[in-house]
Amino acid sequence: MTAIPPAGERAASMKDVAAAEWLKLRTMRSTWAIWAGAAAYTVVGLVVIMMHIGSYDHAPPAEQATFESADPAVTVMPIVAFFIGCLGALAITTEFSTGSIGPSLVAVPRRRTLLAAKTVVVACASFASGALFAGLSQIAVLFLLGDRPPPVNPWANWWDAVPTAAGTALVTLVAGLVALGLGAVLRSTAATVAVVGALTVVMPSFAHFLPEPLHLRVASVLIPNLAPQVAGAESAYLLSPPAALAVLAFYVVVALAAGALCLCRRDA
Amino acid sequence: MIEVRELTKRYGSTLALDRLSFQARPGRVTGFLGPNGAGKSTTLRVIVGLHHATSGVALVNGRRYADISRPLHAVGALLDTGAVHPGRTAFDQLACLARSHRIGSARITTLLEQVGLRDVAHKRVGGFSLGMRQRLGIAAALLGDPGVVLLDEPVNGLDAEGIRWVRDLMRTLASQGRTVLLSSHVMSEMALIADHVLIIGRGRLIAETSMEGLARRFRRDVLVRSPRRHELGRILRAAGASVAFEPQGALAVTGADPATIGDLAAGHHIPIHELTPRGATLEDIYLDMTGQAADHRAGGGGSR
Repeated sequence: MTAIPPAGERAASMKDVAAAEWLKLRTMRSTWAIWAGAAAYTVVGLVVIMMHIGSYDHAPPAEQATFESADPAVTVMPIVAFFIGCLGALAITTEFSTGSIGPSLVAVPRRRTLLAAKTVVVACASFASGALFAGLSQIAVLFLLGDRPPPVNPWANWWDAVPTAAGTALVTLVAGLVALGLGAVLRSTAATVAVVGALTVVMPSFAHFLPEPLHLRVASVLIPNLAPQVAGAESAYLLSPPAALAVLAFYVVVALAAGALCLCRRDA
Repeated sequence: MIEVRELTKRYGSTLALDRLSFQARPGRVTGFLGPNGAGKSTTLRVIVGLHHATSGVALVNGRRYADISRPLHAVGALLDTGAVHPGRTAFDQLACLARSHRIGSARITTLLEQVGLRDVAHKRVGGFSLGMRQRLGIAAALLGDPGVVLLDEPVNGLDAEGIRWVRDLMRTLASQGRTVLLSSHVMSEMALIADHVLIIGRGRLIAETSMEGLARRFRRDVLVRSPRRHELGRILRAAGASVAFEPQGALAVTGADPATIGDLAAGHHIPIHELTPRGATLEDIYLDMTGQAADHRAGGGGSR
């Protein structure tokens, strides 16, 4: 019988707990459904961009000079951030909806350790997904644009696309972590997904209806709009890259701190 | 070894546990008995730290659960058979827990075989019957080869063969020196499995005794039928027994065993038509003890 672990044996390491969390995430069918959804939406977004470029080609030169840019960071990535936000939410809300939070906490009773492991896994998965979808959609758009000039081409040179891709990947990471924190607070998949949808999709659309000075101030601190600001790309928004980074960090810290507090204080 | 001291748990205005204290010792199967809502599951959830106690302590091997390093090697728990992700396979379900403790896939395969789920190891849990989920839950509890095993209603949903299997497994675990604490609201199941019982009702400990002691504590009597019952009654009373007259002309005798009654009757040439020793069944005893403590009882009709 090996009832008691040998003296001096250390608690389950963060690396092992994170590995277990990664296993949980990748053995959920919904994870793959979300990635498939994000990929499908990326294709839809690229088709929209292709049509946009088509109408650019048929527009008279005067109209072409003021044409909206074919930027996947605007067309594709906010919805991808929403999908990945759902992934961050599911990483914890499915544990509550199925009751598997019980066995999880029996295996890892230190709740902050469990949330930290989930944070590491969701951060890596979200950032990787963001970088992948942002990178692929930008490469596709670069091919579609060919040598068309600005303003329809958002980048003067191909390497100008790199900071935007990094910015959108960072915003996707933030969406995932904010959803994880909110999920730990709300415990319900539906409620968390609704709030993440509001933060990444609904609020940026509604911000347009605000009167002008207020619109820019509010829109500048909304999660998807922080991508061009953190990348230092040209945009109408108000924040410098460090300020945009600070706002992103604020979202993550507030959501995860609230999540940690609720997870530690409440009965599971 | 599990030690619970003065454990109190309140959910809002509901008092779920009321200064509950007990010990579950190694080397025996301790049954945790009580009607639904008595506080059994709450106690087990507090022991493993899923619920926070309002006051009091629950210790496993002298430590709070959260302070145990690599807890799966110390404690195995089956708290809710439904607490599984239906989309995962049985193997993945165990692997997700095992990975945090570096328990390898060989151990998972062995356990799935031991609980009889080898053939469905790579099937999704969503399609499992309640009995199969119980078996999977027991496999999860045994992952780290723990010295303490806590099982909440482990025989719920199991057929007769399954109940026998759980009984044999629990007895084996206890004989290996492990502490086994299992809860049930059905006395007859517990009578087959446990050596020692803790009976709780409304969050309080009503009795703690061995299974044999429990039966012994309750009155046994002898039912006697005789055409000369009044005369026999007088003789038995004179011999120190107490006698009650039951409907339909029978005597309920306590304080004298059937042999003594028979000898006394024969000595006085009194014919005996029936002599039946009666003992309260464990189920009767349990219902008797928890009857007043039960929170949810079906209205009317009586339960005995």
